[in-house]
Amino acid sequence: MRLNVTVNGRPRQADDVWPGESLLYVLRERLGLPGSKNACEQGECGSCTVYLDDVPVCSCLVAAGQAEGRQVRTVEGLAEGDRLDPVQQSFVDAGAVQCGFCTPGLVVAAHDLLRRTPRPSDEEIREALAGNLCRCTGYEKILDAVRTAADAS
Amino acid sequence: MTRLVGRGVPRVDGRAKVTGAARYAADNEIAGVLHGFLVMSTIARGEVREIDPSAALAHPGVVAVYTHADMRTLTVPGFPYNRTFIPMQDTRVHYSGQPVAYVVAETLEQAQEAANLVRVRYRAEPPVARLADAPDEPFLPEGFRADQPTETVRGDAATALEQAEVRLERTYGSPMQHHNPIEPHTTTAVWDGETVTLHESTQGVVFTRNVVSAVFGLPPADVRVVSQYLGGGFGAKGPVYPHTLLTVEVARLARRPVKLVLSRAQMYTSNGHRSEFRNHVRLGATRRGTLTAVIGTSTAQVTRTDERTFNTNDSAVNLYACPNIHVRQLGVRLDLPTSGYMRSPETTAHFGLETAMDELSYEIGIDPVQLRMRNLRPTDPQNGRHTASRHLPACYRMAANAFGWKWRNPLPGTTRDGDEYIGWGMATETHSHNAIRSTVALTIGLDGRATLRTATQDIGTGTYTVLTQVAADELGMPLGQVTTLLGDTAFPDASLSAGSSTVPSVVGPVADAAQGARDRVIALATTDPRSPLHGVPAEDVDTEGGRLFARGDRHRSDSYRDVLTRHGRPVETRSHVENTRGHSFGAVFVEVRVQPRLGTVRVSRVAAAYDLGRVLNHRTARGQVIGGVTWGIGFALMEHTAVDPNTARVVNPNLSTYLVPVSADTPSVDVAFVDQPDSGSNALGARGFGETPGTGVPAAIGNAIYHATGRRIRDVPFTQDKLL
Ligand code: FES
Ligand code: FES
Repeated sequence: MRLNVTVNGRPRQADDVWPGESLLYVLRERLGLPGSKNACEQGECGSCTVYLDDVPVCSCLVAAGQAEGRQVRTVEGLAEGDRLDPVQQSFVDAGAVQCGFCTPGLVVAAHDLLRRTPRPSDEEIREALAGNLCRCTGYEKILDAVRTAADAS
Repeated sequence: MTRLVGRGVPRVDGRAKVTGAARYAADNEIAGVLHGFLVMSTIARGEVREIDPSAALAHPGVVAVYTHADMRTLTVPGFPYNRTFIPMQDTRVHYSGQPVAYVVAETLEQAQEAANLVRVRYRAEPPVARLADAPDEPFLPEGFRADQPTETVRGDAATALEQAEVRLERTYGSPMQHHNPIEPHTTTAVWDGETVTLHESTQGVVFTRNVVSAVFGLPPADVRVVSQYLGGGFGAKGPVYPHTLLTVEVARLARRPVKLVLSRAQMYTSNGHRSEFRNHVRLGATRRGTLTAVIGTSTAQVTRTDERTFNTNDSAVNLYACPNIHVRQLGVRLDLPTSGYMRSPETTAHFGLETAMDELSYEIGIDPVQLRMRNLRPTDPQNGRHTASRHLPACYRMAANAFGWKWRNPLPGTTRDGDEYIGWGMATETHSHNAIRSTVALTIGLDGRATLRTATQDIGTGTYTVLTQVAADELGMPLGQVTTLLGDTAFPDASLSAGSSTVPSVVGPVADAAQGARDRVIALATTDPRSPLHGVPAEDVDTEGGRLFARGDRHRSDSYRDVLTRHGRPVETRSHVENTRGHSFGAVFVEVRVQPRLGTVRVSRVAAAYDLGRVLNHRTARGQVIGGVTWGIGFALMEHTAVDPNTARVVNPNLSTYLVPVSADTPSVDVAFVDQPDSGSNALGARGFGETPGTGVPAAIGNAIYHATGRRIRDVPFTQDKLL
């Protein structure tokens, strides 16, 4: 199929897409947006989290066909030019990034949390990020980053 | 001089990572790339009888299905390739999940689907999957590394044990575990004539280049390996594994670039694991608690093809001052993949030693911290360096104070909060580190900017940042004036990112190359009549903020940029400075809460203190502590690869049933550093550290569970079934 999808505000097209292939694959391999990461391909780790029409989803579990005509926002679309989104800035400042492979998914998940709940409690942060695995940081600095971003906005 | 080193400078690669701009090995766009997918054996032992690729070949987009029949004979390389065979060279199957065919197609989904359509018939033999089921006696394999013998003898441990006033004999165990870096292994092989470039998720571009060159008979210069960003490795990406070699060969056969990303499930048989482990520990001591004998006999899994074991019993040999030691690391042959190093490999045996020390403390009736203090070793017995554990008493003191250890009632089962039992436990943390010969090249360009190039890589620990800090400080430049380039064999050979070796191996050469470059630029300025510094003695010139100053007369100054512009050519230096192996140390104290009706354990508080020599970056060092402690919690409470005893297959090859800690499992960690430079390390007094934190955590948690409940559990993970 020919896939029409708006990604980070820009209408994009991809040809010869098998409707069953994952949105993650389309973003990474067909649209040149490898920021979203593939780490389990079965919805267990959250590394591939993107917004689909303003709802965060595991893009590895969304079939390309389901994204037809819809809006996608990835980690590449969060900063305004050179200005990082407050969530991105606080991840850098707090030391919440180590290898960085979980980071794109966590940044999108944290971004979504703060949109819905600008002043989350610690429990709400832990709950919102429970689907995102990180093997490096031990999470403490990630929680710090989300708290800082909440204070900043 | 030091303005940046020691400070918690934020990561120089942070922005690239939070914006998705950082390019990991699978993120490169490569024209004409084919996607590969492996077909893995479904039996653990036996022979491939027949492979029928017809249905797969008929699938749209499929370009080829390769089997052993298509492959050239490849040369089996030595370490760091951990197997004595390369799969798909013949029909023999040594473990379940061994590659037997390799599908390439235009898209990943097509390759994946086609891999399911490849029909393989086998002749199967019954496998052995658990240490307990092995028919043969454990044997003592030959060590494969001179610095890690499989047997160590000091004094006469058997006699000392027999004559000891107090004796303790226990067996401890831990299951198979998997590294599970969040980034899956990936290889993209691109041939250009007789040269090949690999975009590889590896902890060692140089190691990988050397192995590929040996296997394919290519000059090392014809193999380039690139790994700019690495999504964690934890040992899984240290050695070279078969899928990399197969991809190189398949790309040659297909005459197109081939990209392979292992699926999460395939990562449970493709890249090593921490072996199932039994540790039989015997301690002899005086009634006052002085150790007189340590006998440790561990058993790990080896295979029918390989005899390597990786969970060395280092702490039993090196940590405490016992005159009589006998440590052996035995192997048992199982039909599983070869095991490997997994973050802090010494944890596995250390769990037994540090639990036994806790048991001994109760046996004798002294505080567990006291028992350890009584047995401290003043010098490192291996190399005589006096610095090794000089600060360990400070670590115990700092962590104990932060934790409030003195308020502990030593009697088990006496502290409760509501219906939860509370327990406090502690352990020593220690791990060895390597030092690997490393060379760096530093260039100062006409714009006055410095570029550092070296073929180590940043596994995620912060190598880009720390090396940039060191170079900027030695040059006297702001951080932003220095660019560090890593992860490419086009740069000078440097350390593997493993064995906690990066800082001890690479920091010395970086500092040296930067000092050399600074001195050259100072000499250019002081001998140039056009420079305001002309005629100033070189030793009276300071550098700071990208400028050069006459000491005592700060108005006489020049800048790197102006000196280099006038000079008209870049200034280049290279350096290698060798360092020695060593150990880092610490103490960790934990509080657990045990829910007696459910048997659940929660770690509610952790305090830890460390001696790692000089701390180069407090932020990244803290990051290693919190990450390592979290690994310790995973080791203690949940991580467990389950292998079916009949089929020798991993039954939980995914992140929903192989549990790793999530944010709700981790308490906040109180971290302190002694932060005294080690005069024996030329890495600005810093030692290797990444693998020290967490080594004592499984024992500390088990010791705390005993303190909470009076129940001593000697097998990790401490799951509910064991506590009910
Ligand atoms: S890759 Fe999508 S959840 Fe793991
Ligand atoms: S930073 Fe490495 S997985 Fe999170």
